Amino acid sequence: MNKLINFKIDGISVEAQKGETILTVARKNGIYIPTMCYISKTSPCASCRMCVVEAEGVEGFILSCNTPPTEGVQITTNTDALQNERTNIMKLYDVNHPLECGVCDKSGECDLQNKTLEFNVERQNFSARDQHRPLQHWGLIDYEPSLCIMCEKCVHVCNEVIGDDAIEVKFGGYSSTIIPKNSETLDCTFCGECIAVCPVGALTSSGFKYRANAWELERVPSTCAHCSAGCPLEYETRHASLNGADEIFRVKNNFEFTSLCGAGRFGFDFDNRALKNENAFNKAIEALKNAKAIRFSSMITNEEAHILELLKNKLGVKLFNEDARVYAEFMRSYSSISSKLHHSGSLDAIKQSDAAIVIGSRIATDNPAVRYALTTASKHNGAKILYAHPLEDVLMQNVITQMMKYEVGTEEGVMALLAHSILKDIDLDEDERAFFDELDFGYLYAETNIGEEEFSQMIKSFSRAKKRTLIIGNDLIAHERSCNIAKLAALIEKYSDFSLVIVPRDVNTLGVSLINSLDMDEEISGVVGYNAKGDFVISSLDGADLAAPALNQQEGTFVNIDNRVLPTNVALAFNGYNLNDIANALGITNRNTIDYTQELNKNVGFKPVAFDDLENFLSPLGEECRGYILDEVICSAEGKLEELDDMPEFNGTIIYHCDPVLQFNNYTYKTTQLPKESFLVGSAQFSVAAKISDGDIVEISYADTKIQRIFRVDSELKGTIALNPTFDISVDASRYRFEKSKIKRVIHE
Amino acid sequence: MHIEHIDEHFNNRNVTELDSNYYLVGIEDYPSDNWGRFKRVVKRSLRGELFVGLWVVMREMIRFDIHTVQYPEEKMPIGPRYRAIHQMKRLWESDTERCIGCGLCEKICISNCIRIDTKLDVNSRKEVSEYSINLGRCIFCGYCAEVCPELAITHGGEYENASDQREHFTMYQDMLTPLDMMRAGTQVEFEGFGSITPHEDERVKKTPLAY
Repeated sequence: MNKLINFKIDGISVEAQKGETILTVARKNGIYIPTMCYISKTSPCASCRMCVVEAEGVEGFILSCNTPPTEGVQITTNTDALQNERTNIMKLYDVNHPLECGVCDKSGECDLQNKTLEFNVERQNFSARDQHRPLQHWGLIDYEPSLCIMCEKCVHVCNEVIGDDAIEVKFGGYSSTIIPKNSETLDCTFCGECIAVCPVGALTSSGFKYRANAWELERVPSTCAHCSAGCPLEYETRHASLNGADEIFRVKNNFEFTSLCGAGRFGFDFDNRALKNENAFNKAIEALKNAKAIRFSSMITNEEAHILELLKNKLGVKLFNEDARVYAEFMRSYSSISSKLHHSGSLDAIKQSDAAIVIGSRIATDNPAVRYALTTASKHNGAKILYAHPLEDVLMQNVITQMMKYEVGTEEGVMALLAHSILKDIDLDEDERAFFDELDFGYLYAETNIGEEEFSQMIKSFSRAKKRTLIIGNDLIAHERSCNIAKLAALIEKYSDFSLVIVPRDVNTLGVSLINSLDMDEEISGVVGYNAKGDFVISSLDGADLAAPALNQQEGTFVNIDNRVLPTNVALAFNGYNLNDIANALGITNRNTIDYTQELNKNVGFKPVAFDDLENFLSPLGEECRGYILDEVICSAEGKLEELDDMPEFNGTIIYHCDPVLQFNNYTYKTTQLPKESFLVGSAQFSVAAKISDGDIVEISYADTKIQRIFRVDSELKGTIALNPTFDISVDASRYRFEKSKIKRVIHE
Repeated sequence: MHIEHIDEHFNNRNVTELDSNYYLVGIEDYPSDNWGRFKRVVKRSLRGELFVGLWVVMREMIRFDIHTVQYPEEKMPIGPRYRAIHQMKRLWESDTERCIGCGLCEKICISNCIRIDTKLDVNSRKEVSEYSINLGRCIFCGYCAEVCPELAITHGGEYENASDQREHFTMYQDMLTPLDMMRAGTQVEFEGFGSITPHEDERVKKTPLAY
């Protein structure tokens, strides 16, 4: 199957796999071919023509970026004619390019600058009529058309990797520009990936514009601390103003191979500034000594989780973390069928898959990295993507091939039906077969509101797929019947060729669920909160009794969605006390927090690797040299499927806890650049049903919570479920995300 | 003429040549024994070398041939390349500030005494919002002036920067050429390394324009 193609580049014998181009093979073998528009993660733009090479027996030049080699062909990458061609291209790129390198944000890391010097273009011998092309402000993104060289990288990335498809080329010869697609101004998720890939200073971050230069900034490689994807990024820091302390100026990523969402790129200033407050520290020690429990969030490192576990044993307190507890329970049920601790899939597996099911998550906002992976799979492999959720998502529209809209609360039934149709022709255990035979299909189809034909359509469209992925979202993890759902998911993974990705809710939900033995949360007094509410609060958020460092101010590790243990670094110094200082005062002594990295629990897959030995970079060919992947752990599989419960009914006004794009949690809420409007958003239909109209201030009450929000009608939404953002409030992570609620209009007198 | 003479004088350093201006100073060997040391002490004490010096002073005083500069009433002219307190120059054509806020001076400064802050101004141009040099740290090495691509920061001749504080800052506005000086055309152009050579205008080629 995988026959290698042998050929020669510059006299060196090389091998190519099917699907590889001359350029990729050359790069693999360390042979340099200059490019301007090529970017590894998209299909070739083929707009710059810098990558021209000569092939023996072929007249003229060929583009190495989109030409696959043929057996035995001899490629030459560097002749006088080629050099001449490339120099001429560079001369054209330089025509009328403003000579403002001294002020340009890109100067020092500019492809055009580098290549102009490389090809020794010293003067401009011809010109075009210059035009007035003013700077355009597109919110977080600024576009300077006069600097644009029309390489089209931004358009390709936006369309093929992100999936926003928000910009396009307006063709017009020398007056071509990039314009927002079908809109006056840019209307997108503001991931800023176009800024990252722009080889010149045409697309820039408006928050960073003209504030610093590439050569002044110190780069701190780290891991994004907003969601469980754990994307690689670099914080760039410098002192602020004349006497100011260091500040993060911007975030960059290795755009050649990875992507970053807008929250990661623009939401970097969630650091906590504090000085050592001995008084508060002593109070914290006292509070912990008398505490009955510690409640904490999953926005912590593995090392901190380990310290909390040690504190639990030392002080005999309980540990509360509902988010990680429900995740751990879900995974326990999963393991009881699959006989291993960790799910098999990864973001890379999603990217390479040609069929995928997303269920129980508004994935585009829950975990943008999964969305980007799905977009990549869809655009590059033509992947069939089934999106199962009670709500449609406009952001996923371009990508999904089949929408499966089920009734709220019937996830267990949907999973059973999914498993049934996937495993129909597969040899199962007697018990398992019996489970499926006993299903009351009529009841399930009726309650879930999914027709039988939808499942057969799915099976049909998936039939030719070779790599398939099942992506499980938080609705299923926090579901009342999550145990059985986990078992069904495990069953699909075990008996079919589906790889399974379970999307953890927070940055380190996975790590915490592995490290800590958690107790069921109770409303008791004497709770010390660590980044969570409690009677005494130690937190990196505002309003804490003792300040703690935020995740970009400490060293440590996270476990991300790929089961990869990733190092995070200190971008900004923290001058207060951290958790390790508290532990030291309580008699658990270790000099640094990162001394615990090698002590993390080996029984769940952690490796005895010291923090300083963890790498954090991508190789020039895009291999992830970041941390390590958890060892697979085999455990006993004695779980049995339970009979399905009756499907719950959700009537009345239902809200769905779901953050808008660019927001994830209280930390993204703290940042300055990200938009912070927190509206209750519903369709026109919802506004009629709830008897409220656009702009009303409403009081939303669900469970025992009451909040006030402004209601907004979103014309892109359908159905009778409204979206309630959670990034500015604290939510009980163990609760199912759909809530029956009462919505009242608040009348101000 | 005087300077030329000195140049020649010091450039020919071949001491072996007979017509050289250099000659060996006759220095006696150090005494090695105690008798020799005793003789040296007696000789030095009784030879009255002290009075030779005093006589020279007395003689010059009587002659009134005094070379001392009566600082601060009298000041020596400073060479154009002297490196004293920095100056920020303006463009001759428009009187606008030359500094483009590239930050190279801050980057190159080896004593880390330059701080600069820039931002986007209302005209979508880069504006220098803050600029300071800590003269308490500055070693007047001249790297900032040398690296400046616009000849915006140069050293001036103002060397009287004594202060009652160790940290003595100078701000952008204080270094900037005042507008009335521009109007009078008295901004002094730096003539040192990197400055524009005479007749530069004739060498500049214009960019071809299509209109």
